[in-house]
Amino acid sequence: MADAVIVVALLLTAASATAAVATRDPARQALVLAVLGLLLGVVFTVLQAPDVGLSQLAVGSALTPLLIMLSVRKVRRRGKEGDK
Amino acid sequence: MTRRTALAAAAELLAWWAGLVLLWLVFISTVDTLERIVGASVAAVGALLARAGRRSVIWR
Amino acid sequence: MNGWILAATVLLTAGGGAALWGVATGPLSRRVVAQNLSTTVICPSLLLLAQGYGRTSYVDLALLLALLGPVGTLVFARLLADELTGDRPAAWGLTWTAAGVGAAVVLVLCAVTGPSRAMVKLLVIGALLISGNVVASRALSGGLRGVRDG
Repeated sequence: MADAVIVVALLLTAASATAAVATRDPARQALVLAVLGLLLGVVFTVLQAPDVGLSQLAVGSALTPLLIMLSVRKVRRRGKEGDK
Repeated sequence: MTRRTALAAAAELLAWWAGLVLLWLVFISTVDTLERIVGASVAAVGALLARAGRRSVIWR
Repeated sequence: MNGWILAATVLLTAGGGAALWGVATGPLSRRVVAQNLSTTVICPSLLLLAQGYGRTSYVDLALLLALLGPVGTLVFARLLADELTGDRPAAWGLTWTAAGVGAAVVLVLCAVTGPSRAMVKLLVIGALLISGNVVASRALSGGLRGVRDG
């Protein structure tokens, strides 16, 4: 019974990872990926590894979305210039 | 820099420093001498950065 | 399993499930709101887990999330500004409900902790969480011109 929180966290992580794979648009994928990062942080916390969870939260909540969104923006701009 | 602006700058730095030291003392788990020294020096650096950041935002 | 972990499990199941559903389906405006909601739900459950495990150092995770979660939402609000101009996402009922849940969790934990430095830390986390959530929601609904203009 004490493992219920671990099961819930793992299930949510698996569901969000599946959703991230199933999403096609990169911008929407980045949104799902941000949630996945937070849920991974929770998984590490309930598995009693808060130091790993701390770095996962730091990277997953702000840094990964920023990098992905900046790349998406750059690629789209380049694509528009190529059309002209 | 006149005497008055220097005084204002010192007061602002002191306010930032006091606030940051207070935050540090709240966030650490055990308070001892080493933590106080480290907190005071880090808060001094933070106060300089905070004033520089605020001025760059205001003067834009 | 004690009551704190049970409460965290319930909050994680309900809030995390709702945020996940919102972020994986529907129009883009709903997805960014759900991403903002996920921060507001997971931060209180991390606080509850810290109390449940009896480890005060776990509170640092919630502190980091309360600080960086709104930053992530602001990144989306800034870089998706062009796509979001059509329908500005505004879910103030949801925002204030989530903020109320966070405030309730923080206040209960404060009452349990008693007046000490740990209580001040909890209050700082709560203030960061709610103000960050409100600022991110305002940015998403177009209330902050500076975000869109960069």
